[in-house]
Amino acid sequence: MNAQEQLREMTRKAHQHEYVCRGLFERKGALSYIGHLDLKAVFERALRRAGLPILYSQGFNPRPMLVFALPLGVGINTEGDWLDVSMEVPVDADEYVRRINEELPDGLRVIRAVSIDEPKNSIMSVVTCASYRIEAKGVTQAVLDLFGQKEIITKKKSKGREVEVDIRPLLIKPLTSSSPDCAEYMCYAGSKQNLRPDVLLKALCEAGFSRAEADEAVITRLELYGGEYPDLSAIEGLT
Amino acid sequence: MSVESPGRYVGGEKNQIIKPIDDSIVRTVFCFPDVYEIGMSNLALQILYKVLNGPEWSSCERAFSPWPDMDKKMRENNIPLYSLETRSPLNEFDVIAFSLGYEMCFTNVLQMLDLGGVPLLAKDRKDTDPIVVAGGPVTCNIEPMADFFDAAFLGEGEEVDLEFTKVIKEYKDAGKKDRKALLRKLADIEGVYVPSLYEPKFEGGRFTGYDIKDNAPSSVRKRIIKDLDSVEYPLSPVIPNNNVVHDRAYLELFRGCIRGCRFCQAGYLYRPVREKSMKTLCEQGIAIMNNTGYDELGILSLSTSDYTELGALTDGLLEVFNKQHSSLSLPSLRIDNFALDLMEKASQTRKTGLTFAPEAGTQRLRDVINKGINEEDIMSSLELAFKGGWSTVKLYFMLGLPTETMEDVEGIANLAIKIEKLYFDTMRSIGAKPRKPEITVSTSMFIPKPFTPFQWEDQNTEEQFLQKQTTIRNMLKKHRNIRYIWHDVKTSCWEGIYARGDRRLCPVILEGYKRGSIFDAWDQFFDYEMWTGILKDNGLSWEDYTQGRTVDDPLPWDNIDVGVRKEFLKREREKAYNEQVTPNCRQQCSGCGATCYKAGICP
Repeated sequence: MNAQEQLREMTRKAHQHEYVCRGLFERKGALSYIGHLDLKAVFERALRRAGLPILYSQGFNPRPMLVFALPLGVGINTEGDWLDVSMEVPVDADEYVRRINEELPDGLRVIRAVSIDEPKNSIMSVVTCASYRIEAKGVTQAVLDLFGQKEIITKKKSKGREVEVDIRPLLIKPLTSSSPDCAEYMCYAGSKQNLRPDVLLKALCEAGFSRAEADEAVITRLELYGGEYPDLSAIEGLT
Repeated sequence: MSVESPGRYVGGEKNQIIKPIDDSIVRTVFCFPDVYEIGMSNLALQILYKVLNGPEWSSCERAFSPWPDMDKKMRENNIPLYSLETRSPLNEFDVIAFSLGYEMCFTNVLQMLDLGGVPLLAKDRKDTDPIVVAGGPVTCNIEPMADFFDAAFLGEGEEVDLEFTKVIKEYKDAGKKDRKALLRKLADIEGVYVPSLYEPKFEGGRFTGYDIKDNAPSSVRKRIIKDLDSVEYPLSPVIPNNNVVHDRAYLELFRGCIRGCRFCQAGYLYRPVREKSMKTLCEQGIAIMNNTGYDELGILSLSTSDYTELGALTDGLLEVFNKQHSSLSLPSLRIDNFALDLMEKASQTRKTGLTFAPEAGTQRLRDVINKGINEEDIMSSLELAFKGGWSTVKLYFMLGLPTETMEDVEGIANLAIKIEKLYFDTMRSIGAKPRKPEITVSTSMFIPKPFTPFQWEDQNTEEQFLQKQTTIRNMLKKHRNIRYIWHDVKTSCWEGIYARGDRRLCPVILEGYKRGSIFDAWDQFFDYEMWTGILKDNGLSWEDYTQGRTVDDPLPWDNIDVGVRKEFLKREREKAYNEQVTPNCRQQCSGCGATCYKAGICP
């Protein structure tokens, strides 16, 4: 059990009930350039401004109970991320969407939400796969070539040391693309195994793709999935 | 991402104001010559941003210094420095307004102008170029940067900024012709200093006064806001998306300080003391928290404990905050029974560290600097604190104060050692099991600043400072519970040159910038040897600026009037030498001259 889960557990015990608003959100523009913790703070402040009855963790330093399905890296847009916010009392999902959107800065928007009464599993633990889009000149063929390889060895920093890893098993399938400059693919994601898009870009460059193009690439996370590939299910239903 | 923290460069924050780009609107870009995370923690920026975006005919955007990694990329790719709101290059604005909070940001001003495509020297700017102005405490002696600014604001900006902008509007509406006439006109606004109208004279390497041109005013008086309750205060400030230095909302309690510590420039510059009413503060504090969603409110002033109704104010705020999971941050508290109680209430369960600023190690020297705090006070409040469960203490001191002897320096270490002993004695006396106390001693370097009674004093040399640091370090070596933190001597030594500098430093700063120096306030970027070399090449020396002067010597800031009279400063200097303290403004008026403003505490 990690620290966050421990806090959750403490809070669960202290409260009779936890009402979660699970929201699908998108981010783009200026808001894509901030890190995971900053994004969390932006949501926290928006929730407080909206006057929503958010639930706070127990302990010396009570924090609003927010859980993201999967952290978003700096510079990555999203069209399909999920955030769970725990409330003290039931909040209607549509009202949640309306009130938080009034307070979120431009570039961040909750698209829709569901109310969940006492979820059994942390949203972090249900994510297994994700799909991404990379926009850069000539990237579609480069990604297809990568899928054609048997193994893709790349260096990865792990506990301060550089280790060589094969990321090919993390790739699931390329998705249909309408342009030579726009690749879409599905890969494993979540707490068990995860392929970050910047690691994929690095592998692309090591395979000969232009560094300059990679630096300018626009990366968008399209969707998150639960279940076991190919039997995928939508995150909103996994409680 | 190819630069560190890209969130700094994109704007898009809640409450940013984007106005149309239109010929009928005077466009100001507020420039903070340091990195975004520091600039966005600055209250002046938030206040003036709101003020300048108030009228329909005025707009204000923001720009910050790009960090060296971004600076390099922008130069390589010919990307101009742009504003966050409309991505306009700086040279497209009518007014470029810098906020100068500390001297070591000077080269960053040049960096921003240069990247923004604006001629660095005021004399090279054409009629249609932006008007480059400065505000903030550093403008009380802007001479080292005088060649780069068209004008400077003295004092508080809420009123003068719009008076200034209005004149710029007339200039813009008339097609921007005759910049020289415009500058002369700006000099007629109270609180606006136009350096080009004052030509400094030097004889035998010493400053002797100014040749005043074009009948400009013989001195420029700083502006103040008389009634802080009625002035604009940002209740919906711009909320940064990325983590800034002070990530909280702010409430300003009062301006000025009743204490009159003789080393403290702010204590003289911001006179007279003017408080906001408790009613206004309560309303504003609650509104800001609701509007921003922050979970912490920082209350700001030069000395929190001196707010007359602090107890009632904090009670009022905490009553609301406790229900909202919000907290109150209380800097600059004088530690006493009341303060300990308050800290306990404000942070509820967490015991944060206690901070004391005795500034000097002996009572004699504390009297010299008029720091109204004595050892018994410190010891008795610490005993209370230790009994109450506190065990972390921070102590701030200055090295190089006037009349300081080695005995005073040793006094710093001795005080820390006494406090360490007090901790264990107190624990023993109440039969508590002692923890490992954390006592931190921090020394900074005293720099004589304009408009203080010490403005004529000698500044210590690098060697003197280092020797004093070594003495303290050696004395504290064996004390495991005491940590000694000292500051880089070189940046402070250099700061002293700017603080009492004159216009001969302009080419020095320009040359330093041309050789690639930016972010001098950051020790890792400051190249002391290079700067000393440039100073020498310009026929100047460190001593020219840091050696003592006689009280009759003309000073480069004599044409600036901050309300505090020179006669008063001379009197305070004599009292310092006689180790005499001056009562605070609330006890008795000492006749500093600030009554001329007829505001606040002044009779």
